[in-house]
Amino acid sequence: MKPTINRRTLLKGLGSVTIGLPLLEEMVATKALAGPKAVPTRAFNVFFGLGIPTPLQREGFNDVLEPLKPLGNKLLIMRNVDQVRCDVRGINAHFDGATGSFTAEPAQGEAKAGGPSIDQIIRHTHYPNGLPVGMVPTLNAGTFFRRSRVGRYLHSYNLDGTVAGRMQEKPRELFDRVFGTFAGLNDTDARRQRLKRSVLDSVVDQYRFYTGPSSPLGTPSKARVKDHLDRIREFEQRAFELQREQGKGPALPPRSKVPHGGPADPGGEGIDITLEELTTEWRLMADLYALAIETDRTRFGALTFLAAGERIRLTGDYKYNGKTRYKFDDASMHKRTGSAGCSHEWWHKFNEKKKNEQLRAHVHMKMNEVAYFLKRLDGTKEANGRSILENSLITISTESGDGRHNDVKRELSGVFHAITGANGRFKTGQIMDLNAEAIDVYNTMLRTLGAKKQLGPDKRKHKPVDKIRT
Amino acid sequence: MIKAKSIIILLVALVAFTVRGAERVGSGLLVIYDFSAAQGALVKDRSGMQPVVDLRIMNPQNVRRGKGSLEIRKNTMIRSDKVPSKILNAIKRSNEITIEAWVKPANLKQDGPARIVTLSKNSSERNITIGQEAAALQARLRTTHTSKNGMPAISTGRNLSTRPTHIVYSRDRSGRATVYLNGKRAKEQTVAGMMTNWDGSHHLALGNELSNDRPWLGTYYLVALYNRNLSAAEVTQNFTAGIGAEIAPVASGLSPNAHLFESRIAPLIAKHCLECHDSATRKGKLDLSRRATAFAGGETIVPGKSAKSRIWEMVGANKMPRKRPPLSATEKAALKQWVDGGAKWTINQIDPAVYVHTGRSTQNWLRRLTVDEYISTVRAATGVDIAGEARELLPPDLRADGFSNTAYNLNVDLKHVNAYAQLAGIIVRRMDAQKFSARFSGKKRFTDKDMRALIERMGKWLLRGPLEEREVVVYRGITTTVVANGGNFEEAVGLVLEAMLQSPRFVYRMENQRGDGTVWPVNDHELASRISYIIWGAPPDEALYQAADKGGLGENAQLESQVRRMLKDPRAIDRSVQFISEWIDLDRLKNLRPSPKKFPRWTPALATDMRQETIAFFKEIVWKQNRRLSDLFNAQLTFLTPRLARHYRIPNPRAGGGVARYDLTGISSRGGLLTQGSLLTMGGDEASMVSRGLFVMHDLLRGTVIDPPPDIDSTPVPSKPGLTQRGVAEDRLNNAKCSGCHRKFEPLAFGLEKFDGLGAFFDSDQFGNKLRDDGEILFPGEAKPIAYKNSAELMDLLAGSNRVAKSITWKLTQFALGRPLGPSDARIVDKIHQTAEKNGGTYTSLITAIVLSDLVQTTQTVITE
Repeated sequence: MKPTINRRTLLKGLGSVTIGLPLLEEMVATKALAGPKAVPTRAFNVFFGLGIPTPLQREGFNDVLEPLKPLGNKLLIMRNVDQVRCDVRGINAHFDGATGSFTAEPAQGEAKAGGPSIDQIIRHTHYPNGLPVGMVPTLNAGTFFRRSRVGRYLHSYNLDGTVAGRMQEKPRELFDRVFGTFAGLNDTDARRQRLKRSVLDSVVDQYRFYTGPSSPLGTPSKARVKDHLDRIREFEQRAFELQREQGKGPALPPRSKVPHGGPADPGGEGIDITLEELTTEWRLMADLYALAIETDRTRFGALTFLAAGERIRLTGDYKYNGKTRYKFDDASMHKRTGSAGCSHEWWHKFNEKKKNEQLRAHVHMKMNEVAYFLKRLDGTKEANGRSILENSLITISTESGDGRHNDVKRELSGVFHAITGANGRFKTGQIMDLNAEAIDVYNTMLRTLGAKKQLGPDKRKHKPVDKIRT
Repeated sequence: MIKAKSIIILLVALVAFTVRGAERVGSGLLVIYDFSAAQGALVKDRSGMQPVVDLRIMNPQNVRRGKGSLEIRKNTMIRSDKVPSKILNAIKRSNEITIEAWVKPANLKQDGPARIVTLSKNSSERNITIGQEAAALQARLRTTHTSKNGMPAISTGRNLSTRPTHIVYSRDRSGRATVYLNGKRAKEQTVAGMMTNWDGSHHLALGNELSNDRPWLGTYYLVALYNRNLSAAEVTQNFTAGIGAEIAPVASGLSPNAHLFESRIAPLIAKHCLECHDSATRKGKLDLSRRATAFAGGETIVPGKSAKSRIWEMVGANKMPRKRPPLSATEKAALKQWVDGGAKWTINQIDPAVYVHTGRSTQNWLRRLTVDEYISTVRAATGVDIAGEARELLPPDLRADGFSNTAYNLNVDLKHVNAYAQLAGIIVRRMDAQKFSARFSGKKRFTDKDMRALIERMGKWLLRGPLEEREVVVYRGITTTVVANGGNFEEAVGLVLEAMLQSPRFVYRMENQRGDGTVWPVNDHELASRISYIIWGAPPDEALYQAADKGGLGENAQLESQVRRMLKDPRAIDRSVQFISEWIDLDRLKNLRPSPKKFPRWTPALATDMRQETIAFFKEIVWKQNRRLSDLFNAQLTFLTPRLARHYRIPNPRAGGGVARYDLTGISSRGGLLTQGSLLTMGGDEASMVSRGLFVMHDLLRGTVIDPPPDIDSTPVPSKPGLTQRGVAEDRLNNAKCSGCHRKFEPLAFGLEKFDGLGAFFDSDQFGNKLRDDGEILFPGEAKPIAYKNSAELMDLLAGSNRVAKSITWKLTQFALGRPLGPSDARIVDKIHQTAEKNGGTYTSLITAIVLSDLVQTTQTVITE
């Protein structure tokens, strides 16, 4: 079957993003990199902040997980998955749980995980010599505001635990990262081109030396330079080889209207934001990220919808299936300003014996937005007749299984997880109680995908969770 | 007379044979042969430094081996099978060397010189040779200023005898070579030049030249090579240690049991035990943080006997830690091994803060230039101010572990690559390439000779050190492409500059990291670069390069002179401002958005004023008054705009615009960093005791909180009538679940209660509750808290605390190195701190001590072979 992208959905979904059709055709054509019938191996981590308290997960699709129900046959929802080993004593569990999601190991620094993330191990297993030229090796993106530590929002880590790719936090950044070509290098003057090429060749040569056998560098530093070299090669490809598309390239997405950088996290006090502002930004990011996958510009990475311990004061009507389900107004409901007025506090105030209406509404909304992204991937069929969603390994997780901070074990137990089938490798259409550590679940997933490298200490005895496998 | 001299020599020899207990110098040791095996054809390298360089006896029948000696009785050679790359590389890099030997010549006639120790190829090509020329000792060293044969040589007088003699040849970076005989200086001479031209194919040999034609006869007791110059005191130390002295493990300089303690046991105690058994808590009256208290009573730890040690009894049976996960099997095994091995305890007190970073974040990561450093580097190297464009195009550097220059987090993205390419183009367009090239070569020709000369000189300047041949070839390739495309000289220079500005040696601070897994001295150009980025955040200037070229940074006196000169440059002030800005995160101020309801008079301009206040205050104390860094916490002055003075409710604020100096001696509540808005605002709108207390604890006292605190800053309880923030905190402290940790840090903020969330001072809150500023401070590691009556006393306690002063040392050292500090750094940081304190505890004394320390002068290598 010829790979098809639902262009109508695509263009509609992109809203104000205009993708030139000739370019789109080009992208679809280049998608055949993996061969006409082959389905490439892909792995992505999808993170959402603050988590789902374990008691609410037990309700199945009846409440907060309702938005995932239409995709239920394509997901394996895993309950009772523990991340207690990710606790770093002395640091609060927002950060510990977030950095442990997809790595299952305690963080080693504010911007350093305890080991690689799932997607990166699979990437190195299946593409030991690198991805095809022109691809973004790891695409990290998301809509988030809390940023006091990188581990709160970035969820793809190299084999040495450092971040696997810079975070693209604005739609335009993501767009540039995936589809951009570079100003100033699209010089049509052939002579000038040759000279510029000569400069770039010399730069590549220098970086290559520092990654080679005569390099004076140690292993971590060499890996850093290797990463730089890969980026130069990508740059080279963008600058010189994609020029033929000049003039029919895609238009830039609109400027982001939500705060970024320092203003997004003003002294930890949180920001005011409407639901419309939040979802418009996120859906644009989700669209662009999905487009990057559909056009085979990326096969690995992570997408984040709201950071760990996110601090927003949300307002606005939340409509689901055409009906108003809830009216968000965090600060007023808390009767507080600043950080104390943020939605975050609903997690701290969770009480099994109460209705927890506000928390439920927030989680439901988050699941709806995660489902939005997943549905986008489900709209494109591949050569084997399955959708991208079904063919990829998409791991969805979060920071904790309970937002109350007074019991670390409870907080990092029962952390919500869901995965897709990875081209028939994992069972789907079920909700399973695993009663297992995430490290064992992840390692089972990795082994199923052919990885020899395992997460966690080398000497640790692996406890397979075979019931998730088909 | 002759008889008396013989007696003295005999006595010296006897002393050498009999004195025991003195330790040998371990630092910088590359190989050591003690000839301890009494048989076999191999002489083992006992250094423990990988890869070992064992030597083979070519004619075993011509030697007589004893336990601790090897006598060459007839012509032979004892040589390395492989090229000893670890020696050659280390010495080429350090430009220093010491060769030491205990030998007894068979006679005083042999010459050639007869080779005692040699790194060479044949009788006319060598890197270094120590030999006997009749009764004199001769040394030949190859440098860029001597011949391939190491001539001119350095010779002692006719001082040798046929008795056991301690001989040392030591040469420092500046070229001063000294020969010692039996611990006494016998000859000193300058051997100028660098050892970068050493031949990488030469072997190490004893007893003969590699061409087998300069035999030496006599007895060896010890031969050692170091990658550095040994001082006269160190030579005496090795001489005093004598023949047969114990060879300590070199890697740590510690006994195996002591090494185990520092590497495994101290971190283990910090992690699992000190939560309950530190000096302040002492559960069960046990304090395991100090040597004296840990061994008190003789039951807790019984050296050599784990079965009788209470610590093993409890830990081994999983009775401890109580209510915590037990130790892992490997941790238990290490603990048992340590106790059974003698329980060596090498440090006075275990400080948990030392063990916070034990992972790979403390590794030696390659450092990319930060955005600030890139801008400064471009300015210094080309004269172009690229600040505007660089800040727009380059992604900002993100904070990790307290600073945005943390090397492991200085990664790269496609956007960086694009930015470097674009910026290189912009820089070159703004330069006058021809004029710039004239600084390095007056010849504007494309001939290979002229163009190579230009590339070499220009590259050395831009890329912060001499170019290798392969680099010259690469850049030359650009110029030939320009010629082939009909380009001119200016275009060629411009494109070479563009390439250099994007090269790894420009974008990164490239250093050698490979070696034998031990600590090596950095070479002169690497050292120059480290110094200049630490002091200026910018590359070396011409004076520093010249000193590096001459090997002039090897001498502490010269190095100190350079540091003094550099600290007078305004860039040193700018760099120090970067440090304080990062340390207390001044960038946070521009994002402050306090609640308009609670703070209706807030304006973003006040945040700018607060930043200005702190920076002006810092410059005044650190640079203008050159005071102790600790004075930052209680100096009675500040700098305010009229707007900020009104906000602070300072009486009689000055009129007019701009920042003015205020004497605070009459305002006891203010004075010092902690009373400034830039720091007080970190408590959020509610002036959280938790956030403020944690800042004091983590950033000023380097304290640790063992358990995850209940939501450290997002659930502040508001004040209300009858309940102040102090009351809220005290409620927490009375709650058993919270108090274990909160009592360690919340009281640290009690003295700040009268300052609201934005730093204004009040005696009562909005509900009319009377506010207090008395409290207690418990310094980490201490047993008892110290009471203070008001915030001024708290500031005085902080300013007078050695713990605070030491925290500043740790912070500045972390910023200087661009990485979190770990246990292996602790000893050196302590030494830095002591040196800086001895010299006044000022910023300049601290920076000087950092630059002179082993953390800057050396690098931890990774094994290449």
